[in-house]
Amino acid sequence: MTRELLNAAKTGLAEVRVHKMRSVLSFLAIAVGSVVFMDSFASIVAIQHRLREQERVSGIARLKIVQNNSLRFSTPDEYKPPPVFTYADVRDLRDRLPWLYMVSPEKRTGHNVFEYEGRRVVTTLAGVTPEWAKRNFVYTLKGRFLDWNDTENKLRVCVLVRRAVPPPPSRIARTKRKKPGYTSAFEVMVSHNDMLGKVVKIDNVTFTVVGILDELPPSRRPRLSLGGYQNYNVLAPVTTLTHFRFIREATSSLDVTIDAGRERDFDKAMKLIKNFLKTRFGDTDYFLIENQMGMLQEQMQKSIKAALMTISLGMLAFLAGGIGIMNVTLATVFARTKEIGIRRAVGANRGDIMLQFIVEAVMLGLIGGVLGSVLGYLWGVPVKVMLGMGASPIKPWMPVVSVFIAAFTAFVFAIYPAWLAAGMKPADALRTE
Amino acid sequence: MSISCSDLSKTYEGGHAGWPALRGVSFEIKPGEFVAVTGPSGCGKSTLLNILGLLDEPSGGRYLLNGRSILEMSDGERSDFRRDELGFIFQSFNLLNRLPAADNVCLPMMYAGIPRAEMHHRAHELLAKVGLKGKEKKTPLELSGGERQRVAIARALANAPKILLADEPTGNLDSASSREIMDALLKLHAEGITVIMVTHDRELAARAQRNLRMKDGRLEE
Repeated sequence: MTRELLNAAKTGLAEVRVHKMRSVLSFLAIAVGSVVFMDSFASIVAIQHRLREQERVSGIARLKIVQNNSLRFSTPDEYKPPPVFTYADVRDLRDRLPWLYMVSPEKRTGHNVFEYEGRRVVTTLAGVTPEWAKRNFVYTLKGRFLDWNDTENKLRVCVLVRRAVPPPPSRIARTKRKKPGYTSAFEVMVSHNDMLGKVVKIDNVTFTVVGILDELPPSRRPRLSLGGYQNYNVLAPVTTLTHFRFIREATSSLDVTIDAGRERDFDKAMKLIKNFLKTRFGDTDYFLIENQMGMLQEQMQKSIKAALMTISLGMLAFLAGGIGIMNVTLATVFARTKEIGIRRAVGANRGDIMLQFIVEAVMLGLIGGVLGSVLGYLWGVPVKVMLGMGASPIKPWMPVVSVFIAAFTAFVFAIYPAWLAAGMKPADALRTE
Repeated sequence: MSISCSDLSKTYEGGHAGWPALRGVSFEIKPGEFVAVTGPSGCGKSTLLNILGLLDEPSGGRYLLNGRSILEMSDGERSDFRRDELGFIFQSFNLLNRLPAADNVCLPMMYAGIPRAEMHHRAHELLAKVGLKGKEKKTPLELSGGERQRVAIARALANAPKILLADEPTGNLDSASSREIMDALLKLHAEGITVIMVTHDRELAARAQRNLRMKDGRLEE
């Protein structure tokens, strides 16, 4: 059997040499499929990696408690100020459900005056707790982050956020006209001054800068599922901001982002939080619980659908390549009818003839697959980088699988022509000129 | 290996009732005979040879090969029979032009599963036997007509067949080459091989032991 295979392969190679143009077209047909498939594989790997990164950085079992702003009242007399979610409520929730991975309250203020060495700029503040850093932490930290001591003692400390430098434009982008990006005065001030350990003033209240968060550059920054890149400028303990009336406790409700940690704990967390809200604020829906896990799962589904779409394109490309192989094999069968007759006359059975043509087609597939893998690599890495699209994550198994699928496609599409060849009557085949 | 045909007929499809190439042909060939099948063009000589060589099937009648009806054989069994017991020589040589002479001779042995070294050794021996020593690596296109037919004879002898079927073996050759091929066939017959040769050359047919004359698909013996 091995010798028969080798002989069939030898004949196949001779055929490739004799019919160069026909063979090159077959290689190209299957190579295109291989390139698309490699690209599809790389896209899927990239999507998978992104989803894993998203889950690692953003978590999955997430929900958020926000004030319900859509409560309706029949008459103005019925209106009463809705209750607010305070830091005390957050602590109580934390004490009751210590197993939750993250309970992170947050409140933002707008248009605060930030002053450093006599220069003033407008900025925004975000009141947070140390738990803020548990998710969506896409920064490198200089100094330290806010700790529980700062929060519990309402210390006037803050952490500044420094924007990442935008990526250099690609060669292609460089040739296009670029819109200038918007940079605020605060960003300029923070990026041009090392304020770590320095005292700054925010609305005339002095704060010590205990840490600087440098945003990761876009190339190293994982894409966040939810709540990412909200342009934080200054982070300070939520308790401090409340104490110094940056946040008015009586009217400003905290938004609380919660992460149950594990997907399977999500429903339990949701139920317990609903109970907590009910016992604390009564039956009225003063607060809404946003199910962020559902949104995340929806996003993931979309990503998976996109991956499947890409792979189906690859399949279509291989289908086209397979049809090309079938066409070439059919042409070969009809061009070599006499040879089929000769082989049958000297003792080849139907299986031998089928094997001959299938091996030849598989060889075309293999060579096309290898060619496609090389082209796929060239497209996925140097060409894409040159075009500023970022290199595809090509793994060593991708060309192997791609070549295997190319050979398998050639095998499948060669069955019919090979079966036709094997079914020819020897005498009829010999009569052909 | 004996051959027995009775009332053998073959009708090719086409036209209203088809075209009858053989009409009730009956004869017997004993092992070791040299039989020449003669007759004008289109009388059914090649059709008869194709049926005898299991390359085609009769439309009617009975063909017993060594006592066994060929209609009872599967396609695989017929292939095995062609490979192991029969050898073919064609008028147009029917060699694979891209393969060297030795590889053409190896072809039947390859399908018989003979080990590579033995196969090549035997191919060289056979080519030497037909006077082509030193031309093993030449492709058919580099050989003369007579040499090509000798490669075809070597190929036909590859698996030591008991019956040699030759369809106009000298049809495309000059008289000198024809004589050489005929001498080779007689030599093989002398070695005990049954030879059935289709020819329209009366001179060559006269050198056979027995003549089967055909006309309009019938035997005139």
